[in-house]
Amino acid sequence: MTKGVDVDLENVWIRFGDFVAVREANVNIKGGEFFSFLGPSGCGKTTILRSVSGFLEPSEGNVRIGGRDMAGIGPNKRPTALIFQNLALFPLMKIWENITFSMEVKGASKAERRKRADELLDMIALPDQGEKLPSELSGGQKQRVAIARALCAEPDVLLLDEPLSALDLKLRQHMRTELREIQQRVGITFIYITHDQGEALTMSDNVAVMRAGIIDQIGSGHTVYNDPATPFVASFVGENNVFRGKVKSIDGDMALVSTNRTGELLARIATTVQGSLKVGDPAMMFVRPEALNIAPDISSAPNRFAAMVKHEEFEGQIYNVFLEGSEGKEIKMSLVNIGKERQSAEGMNLTLEYVPEQAIVLPAGELASE
Amino acid sequence: MNVGQLFKDFFAKNGIGLGTFLLVAVLFWVVILIVLPQLSMLDFSFRHHLPPPEMGGPKDTYTIEHYKYLVLGAPGADTSYNVVDLGVFGRTLLAALFVTILDLLLCYPLAYYLGQSRGGGAIRILVLLLIIPYWINEILRAFAFRIIFGESGLINEMMLAMGLISNPVDFIRANVALYAGLGYAYILLMIFPIYNVIESLDRNQIEAARDMGAPWWRIHWRIVIPYAKPGISSGCTMVFMLSAGALAAPQILGGPSSLWFTQIIYQWFNTGGNWPRGAAFAIVLLVTCIIIVLSMMRLFKVKIGDIGK
Amino acid sequence: MKTNNILLKFILAAYLVVFFGYLLGPLVVMSITAFNSPSFPKLTPWECLTFEWFDVLAHDERILNGIENSLIIGIGTVILSVIMGLAGALMLTQIWPKLRATYYTIVIAPILIPGVVLGISTLVFWDRISIMLGMSSGGILHNGIFLTILGQSTFIASYCMLVFIARLQRFDTGLTEAALDLGATQVQAFRKILLPFMKPAIGSAAVLAFLASFENYNTTTFTFGKFPTLTIELAQKVRYGINPSISALAFIIIVLTILGALAHEIYRRRQQLALANGAPVAAVSGGFQLPKIFRGNPAAIILVLLTLGGASTLWFAQSYSPDVCKMDVREQKRLIQEERIKAIREKRQLELQQKQHQGPDVFGGSKSAAPATQSPGKGAFGNVFDPGNLDKSGPGAVKPQEPTKSPGKGAFGDVFAPQNLDKAAPKED
Ligand SMILES: Nc1ncnc2c1ncn2[C@@H]1O[C@H](COP(=O)(O)OP(=O)(O)OP(=O)(O)O)[C@@H](O)[C@H]1O
Ligand SMILES: [Mg+2]
Repeated sequence: MTKGVDVDLENVWIRFGDFVAVREANVNIKGGEFFSFLGPSGCGKTTILRSVSGFLEPSEGNVRIGGRDMAGIGPNKRPTALIFQNLALFPLMKIWENITFSMEVKGASKAERRKRADELLDMIALPDQGEKLPSELSGGQKQRVAIARALCAEPDVLLLDEPLSALDLKLRQHMRTELREIQQRVGITFIYITHDQGEALTMSDNVAVMRAGIIDQIGSGHTVYNDPATPFVASFVGENNVFRGKVKSIDGDMALVSTNRTGELLARIATTVQGSLKVGDPAMMFVRPEALNIAPDISSAPNRFAAMVKHEEFEGQIYNVFLEGSEGKEIKMSLVNIGKERQSAEGMNLTLEYVPEQAIVLPAGELASE
Repeated sequence: MNVGQLFKDFFAKNGIGLGTFLLVAVLFWVVILIVLPQLSMLDFSFRHHLPPPEMGGPKDTYTIEHYKYLVLGAPGADTSYNVVDLGVFGRTLLAALFVTILDLLLCYPLAYYLGQSRGGGAIRILVLLLIIPYWINEILRAFAFRIIFGESGLINEMMLAMGLISNPVDFIRANVALYAGLGYAYILLMIFPIYNVIESLDRNQIEAARDMGAPWWRIHWRIVIPYAKPGISSGCTMVFMLSAGALAAPQILGGPSSLWFTQIIYQWFNTGGNWPRGAAFAIVLLVTCIIIVLSMMRLFKVKIGDIGK
Repeated sequence: MKTNNILLKFILAAYLVVFFGYLLGPLVVMSITAFNSPSFPKLTPWECLTFEWFDVLAHDERILNGIENSLIIGIGTVILSVIMGLAGALMLTQIWPKLRATYYTIVIAPILIPGVVLGISTLVFWDRISIMLGMSSGGILHNGIFLTILGQSTFIASYCMLVFIARLQRFDTGLTEAALDLGATQVQAFRKILLPFMKPAIGSAAVLAFLASFENYNTTTFTFGKFPTLTIELAQKVRYGINPSISALAFIIIVLTILGALAHEIYRRRQQLALANGAPVAAVSGGFQLPKIFRGNPAAIILVLLTLGGASTLWFAQSYSPDVCKMDVREQKRLIQEERIKAIREKRQLELQQKQHQGPDVFGGSKSAAPATQSPGKGAFGNVFDPGNLDKSGPGAVKPQEPTKSPGKGAFGDVFAPQNLDKAAPKED
């Protein structure tokens, strides 16, 4: 099958009237990559995807696919196939007709189409279902048909717009692995859209995190999770406890933040702001629930603080402990279940500690609202 | 966005072939069939009545003589106003209003009943029964009323046989047949808009009101009717316009002494042979109806988009 | 509270009876007059059951010609208005938002413009165009078929457009985009995705357009020229002298309409059943089982009964001859005449005798004679019912909707009896 091609967005702006849906997007997606756009609802993900597939012309900047400028090229002439947010299977066509629609419009013979449909139906593990109508399939089956239909067009780039959002949790997890497998098998570029960070992190080679039309950070899932570039990314990708304050001192890539309510805390300066963050700047310190632990003693240190336990939750592999935060929000700590019965600590005052390198300091900014 | 961009987008979205087809079909309909004929009729109504060869000649100038005629009558007439035609005009509007109210009173309860009883085979049969008469030719419907109300029609014969009356009642002359026939013709146009709206009314609202002890008439007055207003006014508008513009029913069922305004127009086009005058009268009918409908919609705060739902 | 409820129910029932009486009564009455022998369509007095009016109808050149014209015009109107209505509806989804309200007002206006005005404006406009173009008055622009199709399509297209808009609102534009994305051209996407989706709406719009065209009078009456449609011919006939062949035509149209409606209803039920498939229908339903399509499908049952009834009526019509009855009626009328003459003669004689016997007392004599002439007259009048009633009043089957009050109405109910009997028979097997 075709090897995937690069997709580049250069300084793309998309406006609807006065409303700016996408602001100055610069993205380079490598051929054969599984690339995700991650962001909250309404941040402009679909809009970006539609500009790649050709339903929208960017107001400014350009879109290149395989190095070729796509300006003025309609969706039916681009080497992309889009899997729609609601799948958009043709309700009046049988499954095999749906799958081979792209061949039908090119004038392929019926025999050819049937043959190809059977191959693809085998691939998506739905053999002998070709004669059904879309309304006679389950959600997951429809999903696979939509994928097969897109793949049948032999695109160089497959665009997927939250294709799993309508499925239940189990099926969603199953389809994640399946999608990833398919991508590795066909080797074409996948551009995937989701507002579910778990989906983005498990499947993607690279992730772009978006906020209200702006791309905040592009990087591998590991980078985005461990080294967020903005408070938004830090709070949107995974869970994070946040402490506000000012930078008190800087020592190499470590900074001491004097927080408003929780005393002075030490943390690593995020890679992207190293050098630009100054003493005295308003800052935010992030530490993830799984990085927190109960300190062995109650002596104070710049990587320790005290808080009262409000309640606990048992989740199987972990205990979640919620503590009274000094900033009005609860502090969450996740402890690994090591198999021993735990005494409830509700109402107790605990001293927590963390490894300073696992906490992050960023200049103060907008958080993801949950 | 300028117009050129608009067209570019339109053709980009539909492709050249399909876009052209859509544009041509819509333009043909809107311009050639709807707008131009109306304008042409308007223009024509301001022309003198001339034999065809003289049309477009020097004598073909603008005049308001036909409108003057409608208001003042023929130049040598003995009354200062055209009492006959104006009278017919006024009576037509009043009668159309009467028919509209009649239909509303008759149809509202049924529309409510149908709309509130959820589905069911019996309801579907009722709806079918409603639709069937509407599929029968307008002329035949009027004809049926003639059989019933005629001098030797069913009602007269029955009343005679029962000894209720000793001489046949002239229902035709009394316009009873006409009103019954007109009301009959447009029942469906009244029921369905109201029914459609009431169907979407949440039953709980009515139950809540009943729960609070509201009597049935108050429930209708405060809840159902305000909710059904778009349907009611859309139904009334259609029935009014259609009965004011009816021609077949008055011709067949109207009494010899009571003309309908459309019949006068018809006469100018046929036996009268004065087309511009007929056109002028038609314009007057059209404009009046539009004004009445617009003010009705303004009065009830209904938008044009609600019509035809 | 309870009595209140009963009262309400009673009022509702009474209202429904009155309403549907008003709605269906005229059609029933008209249908029945098609089978009565007097040459003016009337229900009373009932003379003879006859089928001759169908014969008269079948040989009426003008009616047949009108039907032909109606068909031609109907087809033309269907094509034109479906196309324009579809284009109009599609345009509505695409037009510049600021223009949308104006556009909608313009294309919906033909529904509200009086049909007379549409007819006149069409006539005037094309007449002026042809004068401008210097065309002879026999040209296409004066052709009744051409003008009528244009005039009717002006507003019928609006009806079609409403049907299409309703359907389009449920269309997912994503489907068209998906097709384009898969490489379809605009035209392909239109033909393979949108058009199939619109197909049911196109079907109903076409039926609607045809019916509207077929029954249109107000617009057509100005434009038909040398091609009168069926409706025009009917109007002429109804206005200038009628015979019951019009009733016969009405009867045929009514029956066709009911058959069409029932067929449609059956089709819908079938679809619903197909949709609800899988859910098992309660298997046991009394002692016997109806064939599959009848179960839970009263429309199908009615349709079959109607067909059987129609067939047996046809058979009956073939073998039945109203001549005997007509003779009877003529005889009856003659008898009445004779009786009247006899009565008058007797009266004269009586008067004469009284004059002779009582001399000056003229007053009292004429007074006593008056009631004597009246009562036989009434009796004869009542007798007219009898011969007709006698052959038919056997079965007591009365249609549920039929009022059951006066003697006149009794006859009215009985007229249905022969058909009812035929229809009822197969049901009992
Ligand atoms: N055609 C349009 N006209 C005007 N505004 C639009 C249009 N399409 C999208 N928008 C706006 O652009 C913004 C981004 O929309 P978009 O559909 O890209 O969101 P999204 O990130 O895909 O959200 P979701 O996760 O809910 O699908 C939204 O605020 C939306 O209201
Ligand atoms: Mg989206």
